[in-house]
Amino acid sequence: MSDLKANTNRQDAIGAVSVSKTAKESRLYNFFLQNGVILGMVFVMLLFHIINPKFLVFNNLRNVLNQSSLLIIMSIGMMMAMSVKAVDLSIAQLADAAGLISAIIIIHRGPPWMAFVAPVVFGLIVGLLNALMISYLGIPAIIGSLGMMFIIRSMELTLTTSGAAQVLFTLPPKMTRAFFFLGIGKVGPVPFLTIFTAIIIVAAHFLRHRTVFGREMDAVEGNARVAYLSGINVRKVFGLAFVMGAILSAIAGVALAARTGSAVPRSVEGYLMECFVSVYLGVILSRRNKMNVIGTAVGALFVGLIGNWITLMGLGAPYKFAINGLIILIALSIGTMRKSNQSS
Amino acid sequence: MKQGDAGIAGKTLSKILNGNIGDYLLKRGTIVGMLVLILVLGIRAPVFFDVTNLMDVLKQGGVLTLIAISQTVVLISGGFDMSAGALLQLTSNLAAGFILANRGSASAIGLGVVIGAVAGLFNALMVVYVKIPSFVATLSSMLIMTGATLFYNDGKSITLYDKPGFFYIGQGYIGGVIPVLFLIVLVIMSIVHLFLKYTKTGLHMYSVGENIQAALIRGINPRKAVFLSFIIAGILVGFTGVLQTSYNYGASAMTTGMDFLMSALAASLMGTTYSKTGELSVIGTAISAIFISSLSSALIANGVSNMLQPGLLGLVLIASILLTVIKKREIGQISFF
Repeated sequence: MSDLKANTNRQDAIGAVSVSKTAKESRLYNFFLQNGVILGMVFVMLLFHIINPKFLVFNNLRNVLNQSSLLIIMSIGMMMAMSVKAVDLSIAQLADAAGLISAIIIIHRGPPWMAFVAPVVFGLIVGLLNALMISYLGIPAIIGSLGMMFIIRSMELTLTTSGAAQVLFTLPPKMTRAFFFLGIGKVGPVPFLTIFTAIIIVAAHFLRHRTVFGREMDAVEGNARVAYLSGINVRKVFGLAFVMGAILSAIAGVALAARTGSAVPRSVEGYLMECFVSVYLGVILSRRNKMNVIGTAVGALFVGLIGNWITLMGLGAPYKFAINGLIILIALSIGTMRKSNQSS
Repeated sequence: MKQGDAGIAGKTLSKILNGNIGDYLLKRGTIVGMLVLILVLGIRAPVFFDVTNLMDVLKQGGVLTLIAISQTVVLISGGFDMSAGALLQLTSNLAAGFILANRGSASAIGLGVVIGAVAGLFNALMVVYVKIPSFVATLSSMLIMTGATLFYNDGKSITLYDKPGFFYIGQGYIGGVIPVLFLIVLVIMSIVHLFLKYTKTGLHMYSVGENIQAALIRGINPRKAVFLSFIIAGILVGFTGVLQTSYNYGASAMTTGMDFLMSALAASLMGTTYSKTGELSVIGTAISAIFISSLSSALIANGVSNMLQPGLLGLVLIASILLTVIKKREIGQISFF
């Protein structure tokens, strides 16, 4: 019992000193707490559209969907690790390296299938190493994945002799056609990459929320000790979260290289922060304040849309950083308000 | 007295000879490993052990050490500060602007401290009163501060010339040997260490970080401890930003300060491996931070390409932590969100 108590949320304990009194009486307030987030997102989008009418147009939306695929897939990978109370700082670097590997294979005239398989195998290996370190040897996730990030970075720099960009779009089309289909091919009017991303979202959703394994992850998130006592192989479940995250981010990296036609070492690192933003947006999008696949994907798309709007307005990076920061703040304030409302 | 020393040495030796080598290494492995690594690298490239070079290493490690100390203060009371790197860049840029406008070193330092305190206050309010987990709260302030830095410098670096008075803080030597920056680090380290270990408030911060429920039962106010830790860290990082400008002849265009943050985090966590219980300590942090910067300097002296350096740092980080956690082997969950 005392064990359970010690495990209750730290933030609750900090807040426990003064019981917050929210206006829980009002129905309208409750409605907005439940559905306000998605309404707020739609409202922001509409407002942005009024400011710049080029924003919510079919062609632009199709582009944004396509461009957001990297962030969506990577954020789902991050969500996998975060939903068992861990964090994987290596995924952005891994996505970077995966794109680089496929680019190098194509430039050196390797077989086209290798350009898809090799990066994913690389992701698998990195994921297994992470799992070994963090789940089986007991290194805290933040340190293990941080160390892995540094190691992958070194590997990348060595592969490209201190970070030269690997350019694919200048190669003869015959060499790159198969690879580029993933990134810029179309099935009818719909880009192939969008379909591909949708498939991944559905598969990840199924795996995370509709299988026994997914439930075991929930149990590990809730209380690892209790999960162990109820017969779950905690180390395996915890480790597999990292393996899945790593494979997903490797796929994301390949998709990025296929879409942009180049791989620039250390260019994906900046997306690590946006992954966190997406995951937390996903949390407040869910009714139960939990991390989930669909919410994360919607959150990532929202982040992508805002980035696109900022580019359309010609505003540039400072605004992007500042707005992303504000989104997290607003999102989490709403999240904590909802939590205190539910628990009281 | 002499006999006692010999006795202790004899005991240790017999312990090792009695087959407890594994145990001994687990206890003291990190520090031994570090020394061996530096010694080997130093013997291979004797330039490294030059007094001037050693002093340079201490100077190079100064900024990193201070950030790592600030990170340690937050970690001790159970929080986490993602915004340290971004705040460093922000105050570094603002200080560079101030110096460029000839407002003098004192006002630049004052500005750094004030901005740092404001940022720390913001983080503290978010964590303690809005109750956002510290990891995300500081992530958001990191993004906002990065945006602010970019607004200020337009993504360009600010270079300073001919400011001997200001450069002396980060570049100068006392008596031609001891770097001023290192002395500043020593003073700050001692103050923070004494504060955390020998004052009531400092010990409260430790206890809140160890076990918040127990702290609550003992009547400690966790809000005060967490609040204070962010304020101290903010002021420290803000001040360090000014030192960074002085050390670097200006402010770099690099905006997120992610690399600094990661190295500082690595240093704080490596610092936990010196004590048996894995306790965070300011002195351990400082030793690790200096080790990290001396490692890269020793590697350069050995002609190791700087492409390999991040990877080696990663390996050293993992290996050193492994020594302390391998006995417990819990799963590596983390609690700050």
